[in-house]
Amino acid sequence: MQGSWNYRTLVAGGLANAMLPLLRRIYAGDPVRLEAAVSRHLEPFNAHPYLCAMAVTALARLEATEVSPEKITRFRTALRAPLGAVGDELVWAGWRPFCALLAIVLFALEGSPWVATLFFLLLYNVGHVYLRGWAFWRGWSAGFDVGRALQEAPWNGATRWLTVLNAFLVGAAVVLVAWRTPATALLRWEVVLALVAAAAVGYVRPGLGERVAATLLIAAPVLLLLLGG
Amino acid sequence: MSELDVSVGLWAVLVVVGAALGLDAASWPQVMISRPIVAATIGGALLGDASSGFLVGAILELLGLGHMPYGAAVYPETGPAGLVAGAGLAASGDSGLGPLLLAVACGWIIGWVGAATVRLQRRINGYLVASLAAAAPYRLERRHRMAMTIDALRAGALTAAFAVPVMILVKLVSRLPTGGAALSVASAVLLVAVALAGGVGVRVMGGRRTAPLLFGAGGAAAALLILLTG
Repeated sequence: MQGSWNYRTLVAGGLANAMLPLLRRIYAGDPVRLEAAVSRHLEPFNAHPYLCAMAVTALARLEATEVSPEKITRFRTALRAPLGAVGDELVWAGWRPFCALLAIVLFALEGSPWVATLFFLLLYNVGHVYLRGWAFWRGWSAGFDVGRALQEAPWNGATRWLTVLNAFLVGAAVVLVAWRTPATALLRWEVVLALVAAAAVGYVRPGLGERVAATLLIAAPVLLLLLGG
Repeated sequence: MSELDVSVGLWAVLVVVGAALGLDAASWPQVMISRPIVAATIGGALLGDASSGFLVGAILELLGLGHMPYGAAVYPETGPAGLVAGAGLAASGDSGLGPLLLAVACGWIIGWVGAATVRLQRRINGYLVASLAAAAPYRLERRHRMAMTIDALRAGALTAAFAVPVMILVKLVSRLPTGGAALSVASAVLLVAVALAGGVGVRVMGGRRTAPLLFGAGGAAAALLILLTG
């Protein structure tokens, strides 16, 4: 879907490309209307890549039922915000970190990199494939009612729980990774206090936290080399 | 090269895997083999130490928690970076702190170099796809495929450019003497960076008022678990 993502039309190239098999069937034997439909869907568009499947089938259904091009364009514009916001919050900020953090905790406790990696890939992709499939079929059945379909989605309560669980898991993962790091200084009280203070700074001032973390990351090996000799 | 025990064949395998990981991040199929915990484990495994690879990947994963791929956001590219970092540490044959720190730092830097190449690629995609005004379907399909091919080549080239230099660098560092105090200071600095990134991650993932408490509870639970299990 995002194979041709660009700053001018965003994910529109992928959306139009994904719609092509359906559009070819809808406008079979009418190349002029087919090209017009493709051009319509090459206009700027953005959404979460997994939920784009919902746009693909909902828009194709409107094309199939001969809704006017103006209405299709307006509906297409209206789809952008919800499909982007819902997917970003659910997948990028919720499901993906949840699966990765669980895998990190599993590795720290169990010790096998392969068990943790396969656990991550299997768990994540169960949700991933389910979401793409749900979006594809629900988009077709909903048509104009995509907004209601999103409101009634079976995973709606999950986002809140994922946020809660992720906050807990980040704390656990930071400590467990520190424990797994060789020559760890974790057991010194001043280091524990520094970790708590650092996490607080990162939470309160995320911009500053990011910059300081990157600087420290580069400084750590340099410090080791300078002090190590 | 011979001391590193990296053949041209293994380098080529790394490049092909790097291309596939780069493609996975955004183009296809987005099954998240491009995440650091997977990419670095693969890199480590190819050089004989999957466990070290996973540890590098876990640290990179925590450091990247605050970078979300929302819209046109710029974020470190994790696939080739994780692969090279994991391979670099495994190739050194030393899972000590010095090589680990350097592998993680290299992974982070390569991630941002990758981000710059992704930005360039997205501009090229603009010329390829956004310039299609009257869109014959076959032209769209061809250009979409071309954009994906460029993405894979870009990620492969990134891996090709960094794989061997990072392995040599990490190997060199593994041979340098490091004292006890230096190890403690450097590991503390790394842990502070990870804790900072964790705090940023909790905030970016949608921190509520209870999030700091939950973060602390998670840390305390893990610490208790470590104390109980030894």
